[in-house]
Amino acid sequence: MVTKVKGAKELQDEVINTGLCTLCGACAGSCPYLVSYKGRMVLMDNCNLSEGQCYQYCPRTHIDMDAISREVFDVPYSEQQLGTFKEIFIARSADNHIRGKAQYGGTVTALISLAMKEGLIDRAILTQTSNDKTPEAVLAQNEKDVLQCTSSNYMACPVIEKFNKLPKEDNFKVGIVTTPCQGLALSKMKLHPPHNRFSIDNLKLVIGLFCTWALSTDQFHSFLMETLNIPLVKKFDIPPPPANTFDAYTSSGKISISLNQVRKYTMPTCAYCLDMTSEFADISIGAVEGIEGWNTVIVRTNTGAELISRAKQKGAIEIGALPPQNLAHLKEAALIKKKRGLGEIIKRTGDRNNLLYLGLSQQVADKLIS
Amino acid sequence: MITKKLRKDPLNLIIIGVAGQGNVLISQLVCQALAKEGYLVTFGQTYSSNQRGGSVNNYVRVSKEIQCSPIIPSGAADVILGMEPLDTLRMLAQYGNPKVITIVNPRPIDVAGRVSDYPDIHKLIETIKSLSAKTWIINATEEAEKLGDAILANMILTGSLVGSGILPLDEKTMVPLIQERFPNDFDINMAAFNKGVELYQAVA
Amino acid sequence: MPDIDIDAQGTTLLLMGNEAIARGALEAGVGFVAAYPGTPSSEILPAIAEVARQRGIYAEWSVNEIVAIEAATAASLAGIRAMSPMKQNGTQVALDFLGNLAQRGVGAGLVLVTVDDPGSHNSSNEQDTRHVAKWLDIPMLEPGDFQEAKDMTRWAFDLSEEVDIICMLRAVSKISHTRGNVKLGDLPTRQYKASFPYDGAGRVGGRQRMWGIPHDVQHKKLAIAREKYETSPFNRYVGPDKPELLIITSGATWLYSQEAVRTVGLEKRVGILKLGTIWPLPEKLVTEHLDKSLEVLFVEEIDPFIEGSVMELAASQVPGKPQHTFYGKRSGHINAYGELSPDDVIKALNKIMGINYQARDPAYLKKVEAIPREYAVNRGGALCPGCPHRASFWNIRTALKLDGRGGFATGDIGCYTQGLLPGGFSVVKTLYCMGGSAGIATGFGKLGQFGFKQPVLAVCGDSTFFHATIPALINGIFNNSNFTLVVLDNTATAMTGFQPHPGTGRTAMGEPARAIKIEDICRSLGVPVEVCDPFKFKETTETLLKMMAIDKGTRVVVMKRECELIRGRRESPPYKVTVSPDLCLGDDCGCDRLCTRIFLCPGLRWNKETGKSEIDPILCTGCGVCVDICPQGAIKREVL
Repeated sequence: MVTKVKGAKELQDEVINTGLCTLCGACAGSCPYLVSYKGRMVLMDNCNLSEGQCYQYCPRTHIDMDAISREVFDVPYSEQQLGTFKEIFIARSADNHIRGKAQYGGTVTALISLAMKEGLIDRAILTQTSNDKTPEAVLAQNEKDVLQCTSSNYMACPVIEKFNKLPKEDNFKVGIVTTPCQGLALSKMKLHPPHNRFSIDNLKLVIGLFCTWALSTDQFHSFLMETLNIPLVKKFDIPPPPANTFDAYTSSGKISISLNQVRKYTMPTCAYCLDMTSEFADISIGAVEGIEGWNTVIVRTNTGAELISRAKQKGAIEIGALPPQNLAHLKEAALIKKKRGLGEIIKRTGDRNNLLYLGLSQQVADKLIS
Repeated sequence: MITKKLRKDPLNLIIIGVAGQGNVLISQLVCQALAKEGYLVTFGQTYSSNQRGGSVNNYVRVSKEIQCSPIIPSGAADVILGMEPLDTLRMLAQYGNPKVITIVNPRPIDVAGRVSDYPDIHKLIETIKSLSAKTWIINATEEAEKLGDAILANMILTGSLVGSGILPLDEKTMVPLIQERFPNDFDINMAAFNKGVELYQAVA
Repeated sequence: MPDIDIDAQGTTLLLMGNEAIARGALEAGVGFVAAYPGTPSSEILPAIAEVARQRGIYAEWSVNEIVAIEAATAASLAGIRAMSPMKQNGTQVALDFLGNLAQRGVGAGLVLVTVDDPGSHNSSNEQDTRHVAKWLDIPMLEPGDFQEAKDMTRWAFDLSEEVDIICMLRAVSKISHTRGNVKLGDLPTRQYKASFPYDGAGRVGGRQRMWGIPHDVQHKKLAIAREKYETSPFNRYVGPDKPELLIITSGATWLYSQEAVRTVGLEKRVGILKLGTIWPLPEKLVTEHLDKSLEVLFVEEIDPFIEGSVMELAASQVPGKPQHTFYGKRSGHINAYGELSPDDVIKALNKIMGINYQARDPAYLKKVEAIPREYAVNRGGALCPGCPHRASFWNIRTALKLDGRGGFATGDIGCYTQGLLPGGFSVVKTLYCMGGSAGIATGFGKLGQFGFKQPVLAVCGDSTFFHATIPALINGIFNNSNFTLVVLDNTATAMTGFQPHPGTGRTAMGEPARAIKIEDICRSLGVPVEVCDPFKFKETTETLLKMMAIDKGTRVVVMKRECELIRGRRESPPYKVTVSPDLCLGDDCGCDRLCTRIFLCPGLRWNKETGKSEIDPILCTGCGVCVDICPQGAIKREVL
């Protein structure tokens, strides 16, 4: 397995052009050569550097999983289904208004708003659904901005590019909401702090979302444009199983598209992902199967724990216990994703010892592959 | 009508510069003066295939008897006046010989289009010297900037060339031509010309 | 340089070949000159236009060469001596008319001046227009020096009238652009009274002219010209009565041949026959000289034109005559393409005459060979600092990359031809002739039915638009072709020297003209048209992306900003631009020298010692556009 850091050209040859790109945006926003545009990473010109930060922070180039795990959690990477964590429970925003706009329980919105109000962060990088229903990374500066970013649209959004674009000389505190691959990239940045960019030390809070796959923005959006009258859609949702649909809510009701049709637009790189619950975040948040209007919350770091504690104190969220069968089911689903991901990687490389970008210890690899 | 003797017949002079430096002015003034003195003058030009930012080669041939071809045969330059060192070296490589006299303005102009990086200027000047019988370094651009405009480098070099006596011309012949060419800016151009003569005398 | 209408017969001036041609036309009493700019012919018309008013001459920049020769022909038919100078490509544009004109005859003397560019230093291709004379059956002359450039042009008008056919004078760059001594002739004044004497069906001036003329009428005219050629002073021989080698040459290569023979010291063994009257071949004269020697070397540019004609002649000679050995392009002794030099002729003489002339001192040559390779830096050209085309190409490059469908630009002729090169970010992928970009784009735009998906941007300049693009644009609209025409309107015919065109608001003679706006023409065609300032990167790139996304029918974007060389002569720089070394990342990750490695404006240079970019204060024009490309905001501009 190749572990050396290379440059933009290699990034294009090895990741962008091979279907491995997750559109996380870690390679973009801090140089003129890589930019994201309408769901694609575009190499504008040839960069001649043989080693670049673009390659270094990509979540699909070599990752020493133990190293980033130690960086974030002080413990090595393990085969635990849900990753390293302190607590898991269910929660929802205590604020009706937030819940009304939210996808499920509004916990992400509630926590980000609170973090801002309490001065734990000054700004937040979030994903907003624009008028044409494509996702857009935005820098939220206040609660009003945060409330614009409450819905999911299931398409990949390069939020880290937005982080990279922050002015080098500024020192405001930033929070970010990410998908699992983006969390990996940010962990790589924490392990080897970037230079000539906005300081990674200013990143104070990472809230990760649960994710099984993301949809390719440029292709899926074209499909949506042909299938729906986009301006009328207010919200998208993929309800938990057994429903097998992708739902679009308009003012006159709900339009359901078969999930089988939609799965065609999954980004190819999602097949090689092992992380369902955003294992490298301070707090990870997802839906709760069978309990509408609530979120599953996984607290992983001290930062995360402090924020939850503050939120409880201020009455920003309501908390409940996660039912045991939900926990069991969640662990099972997470493990299935790990095994499937590894299987796809080995199929692609044709070599059990070449895990593509994953630098796993032999122990962990053996446990997962068996 | 010929007042000064031509030291060699034909006398082959190359005046080389980068597009925009105005080497054509030097050639025009000198050729006009020579024609007035009764010589047969051929003044040819080659532009490199992209004029903007490329080199402009002026070939000036002077003879009592023959209207020479605009192109000088390889190795047949008698004098090379270079407004830019890299181009001067290129001319020496193609047209130089053990007797060639070189006058060079040592101000590098970076290569537009960045095919490769500009070489070390001191080594470049040493190489120029090793390929010339005599080398006179005239800091024309530097002095022109002191006079207020870098473009005056071409008038300064005209002064050095005429002042050197290599051509069958003297300063007196040049004055009315400079007057005619610069009716409104005679003083500054004459000052530049005289500066060129002075600079030659300092290095001769 | 003095005006060429000095009434000073016998005075010698140092004139450029083109000026000498202009003077020759003046001495012939020319009344009407129409042209389109084309290097190396561009100086001829302005030299005449400069003195036109005081001499009662009409001089015009036409929109293209075929219109120019057509306009000149009208004057000729109305009894006014007329001339049309153009470069080799222009002659090709004019061919349909010329082919017909050759058959119709003239009124007053009519001269076509065609200037070729051996080695294509300033052209998109290399072409020898002497073949046109043979093809169209018209007489052709070629001057061997600057005096002849004047004298031949003067004579060409007489020849044209005496033979009643258009006459062609062919020159090359090294004659047209070189200055040499020219003794002036007299300047007669002519009083013209123009009138077109048409009468019966197809008849003009009492003769059948416009139709029903058999081809052999031209052949008969050529025979008359040939007779005159046999005794023309433009054909000269210098050398021994019985030379070991006879060089047959013409044009600039005559000067090179003379130089070569003199340099190697073979004046007593090699004779040179210089032809000035090239087509039809003066057969008696040539035969007489062929009898002097059995070894013949042809030296000419570009094609083996004289070589072929003389060999045809020799082959048709009475059998039993001794056979010549011919050396030239066929035998490989002289290059069959490109520009020649005295060195080439010396090389041929070395081989044929068995001498071993060494041009370079061997010890000196060794020193030359030892010069480090990196000193042999090629000074490639670039767009000028401040050029709006750089900004236009930057917008195009950004839009094409973001669009991501493998789109490209088609190119045309002008300064912006450099869109092919790194200086224009290599966005241009095809290059043919004037108007070619739109023409070829209309073809690409119809390939959708064959699965073609790449967006096409046809790039052309403003002068090109008027010259040739309009019919192609209309073709695109009429046939519903999918492409975007991008007109780079810098209000100048810049590459050739800023000659006026229909958009610039004045004529060749300095009269005010209504400036025709390109966007008005395009709008009148009923297609989407946007006008942008290429310096405004964000808006212009977005406009391009928007136009590309329309993905059907023909659209137009006009990128409008004045040529920097014009603006710079009139106004001082708008900004003082500097690079802040503290902010400049140089070749570090985050920049990798974007401005000096990719953007390539000559006003920016890389300082190897400091590892930073900096502004070259002499070359920078203060346009300030680079401020918007620096990823670190290290380039600053201050309003002056």
